[in-house]
Amino acid sequence: MLNSFRSQLEVYKINKSNDNKNNNGTPQVVPRIRRRSLPRNNFRGVKKEEMQRQTSMYLAYMTIDELYSEILYEILHNVGCDLSCEIGHTALFSYIQDAFHVSNEYHQTQLNAAEDREAPKILLNVEVMEAKDLAPKDSNGLSDPFVTLYLSSNLSRKYNTSVKECTLSPVWEEHFALPLTENVTDDSLCIEVWDFDPAESVKEKFGKIFDVKGVKGVRKLMKEIAVTAAHGQHENELIGKARVPLKTIPAAGMTMWYTLEKKNKDSRQGILKVRLSYSSKKNTLVAEQEHRHLLRILLLHELEKSKVAPHWWCGSFSQQGEAIITQHIIQSGLTPIESAICQWAIFTKVHRNHALSFVLFSNILDKLIKPLQSNNTISPEDTRLFWESTKNLLPYCFSVIRKIKKKQADKVLVKNVNEVLTIISKLLMLDVPNGFDLFPETLYPWISNREERSDFSIKSILIDAIIVSASGWFDYIVENNNKSDSNEIAKLQFVSQIMNLVRCDVQKAVEFFDKIFQQKVGIAYAKELYVCYQQKFSEVAQEIVENMCKSLKKLNFTGNTLNEESHKEPLAEGMKLFELYLGIKRFVLLGKGICPVDCDSFYINNFYKWFHGGVAQWLEIAVYKAQQRIEKAVELDELIPVDASVKYSSSAVDTLSIYYTVKVFWQQLSWPDVEGCYTFIAKMIDDICRCGVFYAQRMSQRVDGMGEIENVYENRFEVTNEWCLAINNIEYVSQALKPFTTELGMTEVIEKMTDLKSPLEAQRCQQTLNNVIDNAIDTVNNEIIELLETVISKMAPAMKRLLIEGAELFNQDSNSVDRLMMYVDTNLSTLNRELNEENFNRVIFMVWEQLTKILIDIIETNLEKRRPPSFYANLHKTLNLMLGSFKTSDETTCDGLSQTEEILRIYGLETNDLIHQVHLDLYDEYKKLNESPYGILTARAKFQGNNLHIEILNAKILIAMDSNGLCDTFVRVHIMPEEKFRNHEQPKTKTHNKNLVPLFDETFELTLTDEQRFMDNGLLLFSVKDKDLLGYNNKHVGEAFIHFKDIPDTEDPLSSLPQVHLELARPTNLDAITIKALEHRQGEKLAKEFLKKFKQRMGTNQPRISM
Amino acid sequence: MSSARVNMRPSSKNTLLKVVILGDGRVGKSCLMNRFVSNQFDEHSFHTIGVEFLNKDLNLDDCTYTLQIWDTAGQERFRTLRTPFYRGSDICMLTYAIDDKSTFSNLQMWKNEFLYYADIKENTPFPFIVVGNKSDLSSTEREVSQVEMETWCNENGITSYIETSAKDANNVQEAFRMAVRQWIKLETRADKNEIPFNDTVDLKTKHVEGRTSCCIGSGDE
Ligand SMILES: Nc1nc2c(ncn2[C@@H]2O[C@H](COP(=O)(O)OP(=O)(O)O)[C@@H](O)[C@H]2O)c(=O)[nH]1
Ligand SMILES: [Mg+2]
Repeated sequence: MLNSFRSQLEVYKINKSNDNKNNNGTPQVVPRIRRRSLPRNNFRGVKKEEMQRQTSMYLAYMTIDELYSEILYEILHNVGCDLSCEIGHTALFSYIQDAFHVSNEYHQTQLNAAEDREAPKILLNVEVMEAKDLAPKDSNGLSDPFVTLYLSSNLSRKYNTSVKECTLSPVWEEHFALPLTENVTDDSLCIEVWDFDPAESVKEKFGKIFDVKGVKGVRKLMKEIAVTAAHGQHENELIGKARVPLKTIPAAGMTMWYTLEKKNKDSRQGILKVRLSYSSKKNTLVAEQEHRHLLRILLLHELEKSKVAPHWWCGSFSQQGEAIITQHIIQSGLTPIESAICQWAIFTKVHRNHALSFVLFSNILDKLIKPLQSNNTISPEDTRLFWESTKNLLPYCFSVIRKIKKKQADKVLVKNVNEVLTIISKLLMLDVPNGFDLFPETLYPWISNREERSDFSIKSILIDAIIVSASGWFDYIVENNNKSDSNEIAKLQFVSQIMNLVRCDVQKAVEFFDKIFQQKVGIAYAKELYVCYQQKFSEVAQEIVENMCKSLKKLNFTGNTLNEESHKEPLAEGMKLFELYLGIKRFVLLGKGICPVDCDSFYINNFYKWFHGGVAQWLEIAVYKAQQRIEKAVELDELIPVDASVKYSSSAVDTLSIYYTVKVFWQQLSWPDVEGCYTFIAKMIDDICRCGVFYAQRMSQRVDGMGEIENVYENRFEVTNEWCLAINNIEYVSQALKPFTTELGMTEVIEKMTDLKSPLEAQRCQQTLNNVIDNAIDTVNNEIIELLETVISKMAPAMKRLLIEGAELFNQDSNSVDRLMMYVDTNLSTLNRELNEENFNRVIFMVWEQLTKILIDIIETNLEKRRPPSFYANLHKTLNLMLGSFKTSDETTCDGLSQTEEILRIYGLETNDLIHQVHLDLYDEYKKLNESPYGILTARAKFQGNNLHIEILNAKILIAMDSNGLCDTFVRVHIMPEEKFRNHEQPKTKTHNKNLVPLFDETFELTLTDEQRFMDNGLLLFSVKDKDLLGYNNKHVGEAFIHFKDIPDTEDPLSSLPQVHLELARPTNLDAITIKALEHRQGEKLAKEFLKKFKQRMGTNQPRISM
Repeated sequence: MSSARVNMRPSSKNTLLKVVILGDGRVGKSCLMNRFVSNQFDEHSFHTIGVEFLNKDLNLDDCTYTLQIWDTAGQERFRTLRTPFYRGSDICMLTYAIDDKSTFSNLQMWKNEFLYYADIKENTPFPFIVVGNKSDLSSTEREVSQVEMETWCNENGITSYIETSAKDANNVQEAFRMAVRQWIKLETRADKNEIPFNDTVDLKTKHVEGRTSCCIGSGDE
């Protein structure tokens, strides 16, 4: 596109050959000086509509002679006393000579001519309009016609139009003003149409212009072209001519088609349309064109001389230049508006080769806006010229807009954009003439769907330009960053890179350009960019991200392999992906700021959905990283409280802050979808729980082995502060769980869920989260319990050893009980001091549990060793001692412990006592019976003083013991404990044979010692027997007890006391501890015999079915 | 003891088992869980959003296991939301509805998805249990026969399978018990394969003793 601008170059060339001998009637393309004296009001070939046409450009120089002479003439006839007077003629002459690049002689000749000149009175204004049906002259069947004009009275002064290439119906519309001599009546106007035919293709040479840089180079080249043309290495051929006698032209002027004729040819050579008129003053159009040429020559000259940088020239000529221009304006009678239009036309043109300051244009526009807005102030030709020139300028404006994409936003660019927008903002105030194509397709190929487009306003095209350049830039960066053979990570990097570039670009737009665009042209620049980028970016990124999320490599770590190396790839992928996510998130946020109204409709707003599959991986990475840090924190923990007021150490605090990095991650993620949020929170809580468990495990590994004391005497474990810290640390971390979860924003998520789904479903989600939290807390507390158990179980061996020692040596000179007490006491007081109440209570509970376990173990392993009852009694004493010292409250004992205590008490009893215990237990057991299958015995008893009276009345509903269905019954009374009553014979009734309801009615009286009388747990055992024939094998029918405490002490006769009905019973339970204990004493005769009898008492026959 | 939580949870540890219930949407996963945990059945249950979670203690052979049950949403759109929960599972319950063949055909997919995301090492036996739910439905509605189910399980090396009805509370407890049994079986087998004792393993064994004794204690109540 730029090339086409550059090719519109117009070049000026002064013909210095100064050779009119050459004038042989064949006009040459390059005019030479054809006469000495130049009339003041020369008309030159001016093209009107096709000023930009390439062909005419390099021919326009043909009028420069006249312009030069005109300027000299104007200098000589300086008007007014302004600048030019002060500068003086000499300076101005030398300036103009430089500017036009002419030799001294030439200058002198022209000057002389100018001095000789007199002002002509009348001018013949000729407009060469067009020709038709021209005879073809070139091999291609066409011609390259141009027109030569002259008055027959002055053959040496000829005027040429531009050459129209390859046409038989050229349109020139060029104006000329020919000064008339005196004899107007005889004179006539000769009009000749020629076919231009250079020997060397000027066009070919002209093509080289494209390679020539800068104003100077171009001019040098044009000189060469001119020389080629001037030296006659060409053969122009006459197409035809017409002669118009001046007397045929009416004073009012006329427009005529003239027939072109040629000598020796009958046929018509074509027709030519010409407008002819007279005037007495300089034609405005001519003056304007003169002025334009002058401006151009001077400007090019000054640019060349001053070497001013592009975009720098701002409208100030040198003093001399200024003076000459002013003179020309005045002497040609140009209005300020006309001169401004000339400037607009020329500056826009020159700008194509040498960028001028945009301020310049904007300043000129200021002068033109008002006149252009009001109709009729400016001629239609000038209006047209204005818009044609504007058309030239606009592409440069757009190119600046597009440069925003390519360049750093430096001051110059911002300034340029600002200036360009100022220009456009001014142009926006004007109406483009109807039907004027300001944006031809050749210059603006990028304008989208021209066919359907109705809006070709500058503003809409500007928006197009913004979008097209944005999208072009986007494509460019995509192309430049994309590596086709790249792996997954590289692809992500690529997308991230694009995202960064795009975001920077939008930010740049916001920072530097958006305000200017809004203010100047009312375009939301940043928004246009954003809308374009978000769409294009989504197209590029979505697929890559989605594929990536689908193919993420798994992060495989179990608690013990945190080795970074093996997870490098999934970690890198995950991190890159997350970076990209954050990048896009920032971009979306940016978009919300830029387009608060319509941002909801942007495609990119749903970007998070592309990442759906990645979140799980990020959570996993978060856990992985957290665990890595926890591991480190535990390693670095010196296991001393972080300060004197607390009882936890550094790793606990560190772990908490590690939790908070997870929270930071969550905040960064700020996942927009509620269902996802809810689920991820659940997952995070679960993960944090995992981290808690991990921490607990690392913590207990850390303290493992501490507190083990080994010396020649013993191996012992002491609870150390480190152990307590470890426990407290886990506790600390566990307690942080719940507050942490609320910080994850649970409440908000549940609220949103209520809105989005239903309150009921939200409630269920809430419930699930609560469950997960409780579960997490329980799970971590489990770890505490495990650690406490570890501590206690480490204490067990020492406790056990001391317990056994104490049991063996209790009554001898041994301090092992003291040592045990001390051992437990020291450790418990450490735990009590360091742990919180809850955990200490747990400890106590566990200690008793442990103790129970130890004791059961001791009992079990020592039974076979036939330990004396004192062994167990000692254990029992020790246990009671401990319970007395350490028991905090009644609740803290466990069931097992009281059982064990009972076992120890029983095992510690001497055999007699043990046997009596059996009976006491039976007494308790029998009391609960209410219906006996064996029968009922009626008896009564009383104490009177130290005398015990027993009366046995009868028995009834006895079970049949004999095969005849009857019994041979007698009753024996045992007074117990038996060994305490050995001095008494056991009362025994007579035997009542074959009788199930024997009436005994026997009374016994025993005199007891005081000690016997007040025996605490004295018992009467009534044993009902079935007598065996031989008396050896009496069968046990049943038995019943009367406790001493139930026997009244009274003077009253027995007969007055109520009868006591005793339900007969039998022992049933061989599993009672007492019996078990006795079984372990089989070596003892007493125990052995008792057991034998006891088993007999249990009986073998089935009790009869009760009624 | 001093706080309610301590009372709730005895001082000794329970064995925690993470259970995930997988299967197509609407086969009755949530109903199974609710029936198991709170013995309720809601005819018009909601679709599960992402995941649901419940805890339930289960006594088996005098030991207490705390089941941490994750119920998942079967719909495809929840895929990325549920898969993160598979990791660390101890038991996987694959469910289908006996009146819908397609849910049965999808078991393979569920099994694969689970194995992939749970990070189960290849060829290590994992305690899967296959559950055919809605056994209360009449035989006319049945699309998957017991034999088919057994065949599939055999082909996939799964030895625990059962038909349940969350609606009639039929076999629901049994299903979870069966699953835990399966876990115990594989766990003890794995234990036996372990090389004998160093210090840490020693601790573990002691811990197991502890658990047993605790069970004895509570057995007396
Ligand atoms: N007949 C019958 N219907 C059931 C049973 N279990 C669940 N349903 C129904 O199946 C539907 C889906 O249950 P739901 O638990 O939400 O399925 P999920 O998507 O797998 O969690 C509900 O309408 C339940 O009422 C069952 O054992 N028998
Ligand atoms: Mg569900």
